[in-house]
Amino acid sequence: MTVQHHCGRFQPLAHSRREMLQRCFSGMGMLALGAFSDRSSLASELPTTKEWNGAHGVHFPPKCKSVIFLYMDGGPSQVDTFDPKPFLDKYDGQDPGQFFEVAPTQFNNNGTVLASPWKFERHGESGLPISSLLPHLATCADELCFVRSMTSEFSEHTFANYFLHTGSGLQGRPSMGAWINYGLGSVCENLPGFVAINGGLIPPGGLDCFGNGFLPASFQGSVFKPKGTAVANITPTDASEHQQRKMKLTGILDQLLLDRIGPSDAIESAIANYELAAQMQIAVPELMRLEDEPEYIRRLYGMDSDYEPTRIYAAECLTARRLVERGVRFIELTCPSVGGDRWDQHGNLKEGHENNARAVDQPVSALLKDLRQRGMLDDTLVVWAGEFGRTPFAQGKNGRDHNPFGFTIWMAGGGTKKGTAYGATDEWGYKAIENRAEIHDLHATMLHLLGVDHTKSTYRFGGRDMRLTDVKGHVIHDIIEHS
Amino acid sequence: MTPIRTPFLYMLFAAVWPGLYCGKAMGNEAESFAADDLTFFETKIRPVLAEHCYSCHSASSKSLKAGLRVDSRNALLTGGDSGPAIVPGSPDDSMLLAAIRYEEYEMPPKGKLADSVIADFERWLDREAAWPTEEEPASSVSPASEFDLEKRKASHWAWQPLNVSDPPSVPNDGGELSNIDRFIYSELSTAGLTPAPPIGRASLARRLSFDLIGLPPSPEDVAEFVNDSSEDATERYVDRLLQSPHFGERWGRHWLDLVRYAESRGHEFDPDTPHAFQYRDYVIRALNADVPYDLFVKEHIAGDLLSNPRLNSDEGFNESILGTGFWFLGEWVHSPVDILKDEADRFDNMVDCMSKTFLGLTVSCARCHDHKFDAISTEDYYSLTGFLQSSHFCEVPFESLEHNRRVANSLQSLDSEYAAALEAELNRLTELDSKRADQPWEFDFTAIPSMPEGANANVVFDYTGKTNGEVSPFYADGFAYGSSTTRPGQWMIANRNGKMSADIAMYGSARNDPFWNAIETIEDRNVNGRRTNIPPGAGRGLRTPTFELKEGTISLQLRGAGDVFACVDSHRLVVGPLHGETHKKLPGNADGSIYWVHLNLNRYIGHQVHMELMPSNDGCLELLRVIDANSAITQQDAKSVEALKKAEQWLSELQERVGEEASRPLRILQSEWIARRQSLLNQVQVKSRLTMAMMDGTGEEARVFIRGNVAAPGKVVPRHFLTAISSAPLGSASTSGRLELAEKITDSSNPLYSRVIVNRVWHHLFGRGIVPTVDDFGVLGQRPTHPQLLDNLANWFLDDGQSIKRLIRQIVLTNAYQMSNETSPLATEVDPNNLLYQHREPKRLEGEIVRDTLLAVSGELNREMYGESVPVFLTNFMDGRGRPGASGPADGDRRRSIYIEVRRNFVSPFMLAFDTPVPFSTMGRRTVSNVPAQALILMNDPFVIERAKTWATQLIEAVPEDFNARMEQLYQTAYSRSPTANEIKVIDEYVQKNGANDVQTWTDITHSIINSKEFTYIP
Repeated sequence: MTVQHHCGRFQPLAHSRREMLQRCFSGMGMLALGAFSDRSSLASELPTTKEWNGAHGVHFPPKCKSVIFLYMDGGPSQVDTFDPKPFLDKYDGQDPGQFFEVAPTQFNNNGTVLASPWKFERHGESGLPISSLLPHLATCADELCFVRSMTSEFSEHTFANYFLHTGSGLQGRPSMGAWINYGLGSVCENLPGFVAINGGLIPPGGLDCFGNGFLPASFQGSVFKPKGTAVANITPTDASEHQQRKMKLTGILDQLLLDRIGPSDAIESAIANYELAAQMQIAVPELMRLEDEPEYIRRLYGMDSDYEPTRIYAAECLTARRLVERGVRFIELTCPSVGGDRWDQHGNLKEGHENNARAVDQPVSALLKDLRQRGMLDDTLVVWAGEFGRTPFAQGKNGRDHNPFGFTIWMAGGGTKKGTAYGATDEWGYKAIENRAEIHDLHATMLHLLGVDHTKSTYRFGGRDMRLTDVKGHVIHDIIEHS
Repeated sequence: MTPIRTPFLYMLFAAVWPGLYCGKAMGNEAESFAADDLTFFETKIRPVLAEHCYSCHSASSKSLKAGLRVDSRNALLTGGDSGPAIVPGSPDDSMLLAAIRYEEYEMPPKGKLADSVIADFERWLDREAAWPTEEEPASSVSPASEFDLEKRKASHWAWQPLNVSDPPSVPNDGGELSNIDRFIYSELSTAGLTPAPPIGRASLARRLSFDLIGLPPSPEDVAEFVNDSSEDATERYVDRLLQSPHFGERWGRHWLDLVRYAESRGHEFDPDTPHAFQYRDYVIRALNADVPYDLFVKEHIAGDLLSNPRLNSDEGFNESILGTGFWFLGEWVHSPVDILKDEADRFDNMVDCMSKTFLGLTVSCARCHDHKFDAISTEDYYSLTGFLQSSHFCEVPFESLEHNRRVANSLQSLDSEYAAALEAELNRLTELDSKRADQPWEFDFTAIPSMPEGANANVVFDYTGKTNGEVSPFYADGFAYGSSTTRPGQWMIANRNGKMSADIAMYGSARNDPFWNAIETIEDRNVNGRRTNIPPGAGRGLRTPTFELKEGTISLQLRGAGDVFACVDSHRLVVGPLHGETHKKLPGNADGSIYWVHLNLNRYIGHQVHMELMPSNDGCLELLRVIDANSAITQQDAKSVEALKKAEQWLSELQERVGEEASRPLRILQSEWIARRQSLLNQVQVKSRLTMAMMDGTGEEARVFIRGNVAAPGKVVPRHFLTAISSAPLGSASTSGRLELAEKITDSSNPLYSRVIVNRVWHHLFGRGIVPTVDDFGVLGQRPTHPQLLDNLANWFLDDGQSIKRLIRQIVLTNAYQMSNETSPLATEVDPNNLLYQHREPKRLEGEIVRDTLLAVSGELNREMYGESVPVFLTNFMDGRGRPGASGPADGDRRRSIYIEVRRNFVSPFMLAFDTPVPFSTMGRRTVSNVPAQALILMNDPFVIERAKTWATQLIEAVPEDFNARMEQLYQTAYSRSPTANEIKVIDEYVQKNGANDVQTWTDITHSIINSKEFTYIP
């Protein structure tokens, strides 16, 4: 495997037993499942979990074990959610050009300064301001850690999505979930290490937002659906007893092959792979039985909501918690469709943002509360982020265009500071001016919280030791709780 | 002179640095600074610099950013990569101030300084940037880069010439060993290892069949080979496989991995890449025809420029031009806000793919800085992008191109013949003419209407000149616009109210000959409807040379209907919301008069632009002038419109005046000319498919973008190949220089070229290259395990005419290739990774081959070759923007996988699970992972179950009674061997328990076999 040794000479280990095992136990692919750990017969020979799992392991003690990434597709508006700007009320309807230079935007149909349709209030002991758009989340203010000075390098969805997911604006790089599993391996026996639960909206850029890029296919994100058959090809075509009979026959044929040719790493690993697949056929339906959850939990998340997108996102959040309980490293949730557009209100900001907020608000706050009450939030990093923010001035009359120059993302749990706001945008909420942060910094910080030094987690490809953070990224130490 | 790309920002910078040009002393002028200015510096400025800037911009920085130090006045005056940082006395011209004001660079990155601090800097700069006399801080980091190209070249093996040596002698060789084997065996012998024995005949048949054609051998083929006792049985078996049309499909798929082949553009809406499959078919045909590799490579780089293009042996069409399609197989983006960066990213991918594929070098690593490890400079990188800047995307009717070129040549001689005759006859008539009027085309009917007061206007192109070819170069896409302009007074064929008429041009223009309106293009399937709005030139178009847009409003003087497109920074995926202003439909004037149209391109001032014209299907679209101004010309002068109308009657009026009798010879010539053109028209190949291709545009030299930043243009670099191999300038002002580049790349003195390709072939046959990192022969790649073998093989390949097929033949006929999987305890200990090739490793089939094999064994494989792809089957899990409206068939029409559509954002999950690469860059070595998804697919995917069932049904039909015969048939089909006694016993028991002739039982068995490891792991 072309891994390890980010400095010094690298020697190939092509097709070694070690390599086969590494390749074997780490993933499932785009249609199915991912990283696995300790496997009976083969594991006994191996020195440590981290080595044979294809992972380099942690570089220092981790603050958290898993990440739930709440991807807010389309770019929620910072000035309508977490970054109140009185100037927008004061100068509502005026030409922004007289106050600051307006950079080119995606639609270049820029209108006047646009006040937020929502009122801000301070919440909790921390007094973090959250707008009336997100009333449930407001009750969790003291758990949240805002980064109000996030920036992106791109004004277009697809670039910005690839950038947020992979650290590069172009297609083909490994997603952060792939990197994290590459770095840490998985502690889960029978589920993938990187799960993307698709609520309905695949990010622009497509499934490659969850891709393994140049990393082995083992690290691909597995796309789950929040209901029905969760994973492709997970439901046996035959009755279970029939399938077992067939697979038993396959097993005998394989054994006869081994008897003839003697030990073979490749063949033995492939055989072990089938055992995992069989276990997964049991584990996935069990995972997805949300009806096993007590009624008050289901209600907490909004499984009984009269708004279908809320019910979908509730199922995603609840499944995410169950995945974390089973040791899955990285879970991304995509947004459900609310009929109109994703958080991408080029027009009709009010209606569009309200629908998108309604879909996620209750489930997200329930997820935070549920993780907290189970004592899991400190071990689980929850990240809420869009690919960029929105302009403080209108697009047309009542929309907002893309704004990569300054927007808010938040984190909760996982070793982040509670009830904190880091960084600031200018008085318009347009550009980050204080503690400006980059997506690379977000990635560096996430890896840091997981115990990984982002400069040391490398994979050699195309003549370079590639990193999630490219050649950039600084850990934002100011938002990390120092215990 | 070669036009030089000069992005607008650079001009700005040049303009704001007067100090640079007036020779102002830049030394330290400490004596002259007032004490209070120095105090101000020490209290207000230096502490801020130290606190906020020194960590990245001082002698003590661990790594100096942007080459800029701010810890001395001299350092600030000298500046960094982007030029001087301060202009003392001129705050607004000082980049340092712009940076801390967040107008550019946005420094310090952690957050904007307080307004009062920024005001301090303004004051300090205004007062001559006072700084006390002190020693220059000594830098711990050497300011000169460590990059020494020659030294790196000298110290790395891959740049050295091929080192051809005699194959070593091997003990007990007996003179039987091939040269390749002698290299392998001698290393084994040195390590004290014995090569594994040869694999059995049947297994060899299987290995060869999968390696060469990617399909299992039929039981009959295996039997024939196994029973063939002649000495050259293997040679003949190999030759049969090499001649199979499936060879090109198998090796074509390997090639497609190198060129990030896909049929959609990816990005947000995954729009189609029209005609991409033509490139795929070209690759398959070329491999089957065993086109010499140097020609194949030249066709990729510059197939449009070959003086003798290779013609398809069956249909005679131009094959060579299809190769250039590879440049354009990458991701394309719609509506980029930064259009120049979009171009830079596209070029980066093209250079990356080209350099990895043909050279095994990661040239793109030098985009932002000199290569960290290899002998490749940033200037090398940008010199290569210059070739792309000087080239152009087009869609070419490749099927008719060569045929119609011959027709165009005949047409040209016919036209010259008649023009001469008509001119003589016209002279005779004018002598007879009582009015003896002046020739009207001496007048100017096309005068430019006056511009508003104070307008700035540049005539960029004027096609109205009195001699042909004044606008040079003249880039016609196809034959319609000919090879130069039409001059005033020139005989030409005009379409007057739908009727062809031989007439005289009253003004000069670039005009398309209506003769070519006949040609039609065959469109391929439009999958998701999000194609560019820009119609392809398709062999009837015109493009202007490239120019820098200075004023912003382009006015075009035109006549006729069609489309005009201003191509900015080579961006052409125009589907909104941005860049719609670059395209306009031209309905033409109802009265057929000359008119002006304008494009408001203010957004693109300072960018490189060329105009493209495409006439309407049955029309004539003439271009007279292109003007770049700060306001628009919208009206043609009314008087000249009238005058032209009248002038165009001149010829017929003249004929009337001299009388029917006198004008008869002229009329005869006119109608003869039209008739002979008509008969030539019958020879035109009307219909043709299109392909993506490259053609030459204006020759341009690229600028370095400092640290890869398109807003920071640096030095101009002439086009050349990699300095480490040849730094001779290539190309000219009117040509891209790609053909010369292709010559340099394929020159036998370029040691990378031949090593890389023989290593790729070796990799596919042995499962690991002699250089395992097949796409990276640089310092970070791995070194060859058998350097002498590699060089000898490369040398032999060059000497032997660069035949891929003979290279494969040479390799597979060696003992090394034909070894069994048997290893020994000693080998496992001494060489655990089998680097010495003591034995062969089993190989897992690729996803495509697994699928093809399932279809082959179930007897369902549809062997139809070529053509539009079968749409990809969309599972419920394949979602996202740009999802095609309809799914393809679940069984892919049972075609080979290479004919299944590759949509960037909807790659088949079956393939992804089995490591088919996402097509973003060159991937000469696929990962081989072992993931449960593979098992779940083979266990539960309905496609697989269907194949198992068909296989079982056919098996029962073919062998209805005899169990042992059925087992023999099953095992020969599945594994190319007979079942063992144990296997017969196990399956017999299964059958006894579950029903002997039951399709379900036998489906269980075939399905079990599909899931058995021997099915997908080839010994």
